[in-house]
Amino acid sequence: MKILGTVEYRDLEGGVWQLAADDGKRYTLLGARTELRAAKGQRVEVEGQVDEGFGVSMSGPQLRIDRLRKL
Amino acid sequence: MLRLMPRPRLHERLAVALLAAAALILSGVAGCSRRAVPVVEVGAESVPGLIEVELRGHGAVPGKVLDEEEVQDDLYGDALSPEWDIEFQVDPADEAATLLQLRARPDVVWAEPVTQLHALWLPNDPDFAKQWHLKAAGAPQAWDATRGRGVTVAVIDTGIYPVDDLDPARIVPGRNFVKRREERASPATGEGRKAAALDDDARDDHGHGTHVAGTIAQSTGNGKGVAGMAPDARLMPVKVLSAFGGGTSHDIAEGIRWAVDHGARVLNLSLGGGGRSLAMESAVAYARRRGAVVVCAAGNSGGRGVSYPAAYEGAFAVSAVGPAGAAAPYTSYGPEVQIAAPGGDKSLGEEAGVLQQTLAEGSTTESAYRWFQGTSMATPHVAGAAALVMSLGVSAPAAVERLLTSTARKPGTYGSGAEVEASSEKYGAGLLDAAAAVRTETVWWALWRLAFAAVGAVFALKHARSLGQIKANEKPRALFWAGLGLGAGALTLLAPLGAERLGVLSVLALPPSAMAARFLGLPGTSALATAAGYLGWSALVPLLLALPARMAARPLQSVFGALVAGLAFGWAGLLLHAALWRTVALPWMPAALMPFWLLAGAVVAWVAGRGLLAREKLR
Repeated sequence: MKILGTVEYRDLEGGVWQLAADDGKRYTLLGARTELRAAKGQRVEVEGQVDEGFGVSMSGPQLRIDRLRKL
Repeated sequence: MLRLMPRPRLHERLAVALLAAAALILSGVAGCSRRAVPVVEVGAESVPGLIEVELRGHGAVPGKVLDEEEVQDDLYGDALSPEWDIEFQVDPADEAATLLQLRARPDVVWAEPVTQLHALWLPNDPDFAKQWHLKAAGAPQAWDATRGRGVTVAVIDTGIYPVDDLDPARIVPGRNFVKRREERASPATGEGRKAAALDDDARDDHGHGTHVAGTIAQSTGNGKGVAGMAPDARLMPVKVLSAFGGGTSHDIAEGIRWAVDHGARVLNLSLGGGGRSLAMESAVAYARRRGAVVVCAAGNSGGRGVSYPAAYEGAFAVSAVGPAGAAAPYTSYGPEVQIAAPGGDKSLGEEAGVLQQTLAEGSTTESAYRWFQGTSMATPHVAGAAALVMSLGVSAPAAVERLLTSTARKPGTYGSGAEVEASSEKYGAGLLDAAAAVRTETVWWALWRLAFAAVGAVFALKHARSLGQIKANEKPRALFWAGLGLGAGALTLLAPLGAERLGVLSVLALPPSAMAARFLGLPGTSALATAAGYLGWSALVPLLLALPARMAARPLQSVFGALVAGLAFGWAGLLLHAALWRTVALPWMPAALMPFWLLAGAVVAWVAGRGLLAREKLR
């Protein structure tokens, strides 16, 4: 699935990347760390899979990134 | 006479050990109060100008207690926020006058100079002073009694990287559940066999697990870096989260079961998610049934709703507080929260985080000391505290949890009505206080065991006198009471003196049942440890000793007889306390049967002791 939103960095658990999505949800992003660093604070379109996934972030659903595109 | 030949050697040794221990008991009782009573001269080791104050009620503001111009240094930034217990640096010349002034105030519970003996063993790790969170969790005072030796804590996380401030000898073999999944996802290489061999490589490639492991058992007192809650505990790396910090419920469930099956007695799960998983739920239940404490992070949603696995039955859910003891803005909360612990609050500044050594940012090989915040950071403080109390002989997970919650400090911010409910959802039973938990175990429980043992002994002595088996004026020798103290595990009263001071005697500062495990360094679930557990928590030892002791004509007048009779009554008190407080879990023993096993043991031990005093058949 494709989700639009803004890439945010949160100083939590040593640092997590999140997507403040247009649908009002906040997803923890897994993968593509280099691309995320370059897209910090910018609007992006993320293609990937959403799960209720378990991990260190513990703050909402997780989105595993297959593709990330800056808008 | 021939049969008595080995006796002198045995009682000589026992008598020397017991007399030395008994002499130390007296000073041990003095050293066990919360405010450590200086054993050396006051002032000799006091820190000039450093004073500590406890305020009445959490809402008090230190700034009103002491004028700002008098305070030279506010060591922990307490003055900015409400606190109970604050430390100030004042001009050493004014120290005495300031103390008098403080003690006269109605809002001050006590005020006193801080001495080096505040905690007897302060680690020399240079950045320990920055770890406000270990101090807030009560670690330094707890270390005088125990540092977690003999307990394995599994870090079910992103793995553990062998950074230089972790003692490699304390890291036991672990397991990687992530690599296997990744190999399966891209099977083209055909190197399955090689991949399987790599399964035990649970090195961290993220940094989270190493940080968490550091909070539990960072090398402490090694003159390097920082400290950890239970530095003598063993760490078991179980990698269930990837380099990105994510994982699956299946891997986590498998990791939980694997860790328990391989001897972990505390599981640290600084992870979570929103999806309920039956596999994980049953793994948590399995771990608890097998005698492990399952400590889980409540979550970082900042709202109501505890994540899984923390929300499962059998998990011990931990919320996070900042340096002032107030709930951190990010912490999840809800009715499942059992206890709160320091997780950091970096909205107050970088150094309000939790400081441990881990991987440097973006690196998988370089290490760095970093400040993290999250309920993941609060969780290992509790896991470390669980290891501390378990190393002193409590083995039932429910007893460990009860001990930690019952000794937790109550947040003073509790208001009335709805506010109280909201607060208890945020803090559970209150703020973790490892020192109070350890003190309850070493002091209060020892006194209970002694009381039970003494009541049993006095009753049996009276009965034997009424039967005419011992003369009306015959008094038990001192060795009878020494044996009783030893059997009841009363030497734990010595524990607050600290292992450094006790030396070899420190092994005596344990309940007898925990001694074997500590002495032999047995891991939690080995066959030998199981056997030692059953042996220790039964009446077998006093029973076997009572048989030769019965050969003395008047056991109370023989050194060995008096000692063994006392030991038997002491052991009865030990077992009775364990049965009533439900502190013991043994492998294969159903929890419901455990108190009956212990009660039966207590009765047998008492009968063995009584049999030495009155040797006619019991009717």
